[in-house]
Amino acid sequence: MLATVSKQLRSHPALIPLFFFIGGGAAMSMMYLARLGLRNPDVCWDRKNNPEPWNKMAPTDQYKFYAVNIDYSKLKKNGPDF
Amino acid sequence: MAHPSQLGFQDAASPVMEELLHFHDHALMIVFLISTLVLYIIVAMVSTKLTNKYILDSQEIEIIWTVLPAVILILIALPSLRILYLMDEINDPHLTIKAMGHQWYWSYEYTDYEDLGFDSYMIPTQDLAPGQFRLLEADHRMVVPVESPIRILISAEDVLHSWAVPALGIKMDAVPGRLNQTAFITSRPGVFYGQCSEICGANHSFMPIVVEAVPLEHFESWSSLMLEDA
Repeated sequence: MLATVSKQLRSHPALIPLFFFIGGGAAMSMMYLARLGLRNPDVCWDRKNNPEPWNKMAPTDQYKFYAVNIDYSKLKKNGPDF
Repeated sequence: MAHPSQLGFQDAASPVMEELLHFHDHALMIVFLISTLVLYIIVAMVSTKLTNKYILDSQEIEIIWTVLPAVILILIALPSLRILYLMDEINDPHLTIKAMGHQWYWSYEYTDYEDLGFDSYMIPTQDLAPGQFRLLEADHRMVVPVESPIRILISAEDVLHSWAVPALGIKMDAVPGRLNQTAFITSRPGVFYGQCSEICGANHSFMPIVVEAVPLEHFESWSSLMLEDA
């Protein structure tokens, strides 16, 4: 199938940007979904060894994808220890 | 506040709203450019005597009108995502206020230091003083110190409401049984109006929100006064 697609692409090179942008968009969305699945503290994969990851959050960790103004290394914990 | 025949946003009273304003200008400029281009092309196509009946395809223009829209969309998406993440940041608030929605008034609780709570009802039209704004004024305003980061926790006691102040760029749903958090900083002193933004019954249009930003000393004397009156 890849051979057919590359043959058709050679006679219609205008489709290359299409592959690039659509492929890039799909790749970026899949990567963000994977990041959410693996790094989001609301998600629990291993009920035996890591049952409640949302109880282990530290104030200096960055959980969001992009930090505009916050310097996470400077933050301190405000709440009580339990 | 909004004024008659207003077309754009209200003047920004918080840094986040300024960012939103500039982003809106950026996105709207792109929209205007695209619309102008399309209108020009339509007029040019409609008003020409030249015809070409045999064109089948053109790789060059296909590349252009694939790459250019993709680049434009990226140019819109990057500032948009930046503002999205910026709006979620809450840096060390000086004050926490709880805004509770009821049918049909808001109640505000300042419980950081003392137990201050009060209700904020709309001033009925027949009771307005000259110069006051119809359907926007409230009997007790939510007073905040200017240029201080404020955390506001929003919830409701009965049905869905929504706490919105356009000049500060805030809108957050008040959901019964749920606590929604947002934060803002007022960049300048002033009075900022908003209205309940989720249908909540007969008087949904008559439960406004008024935020008054004052210097810290005035905020302190106001809160002492409110505590005495309570």
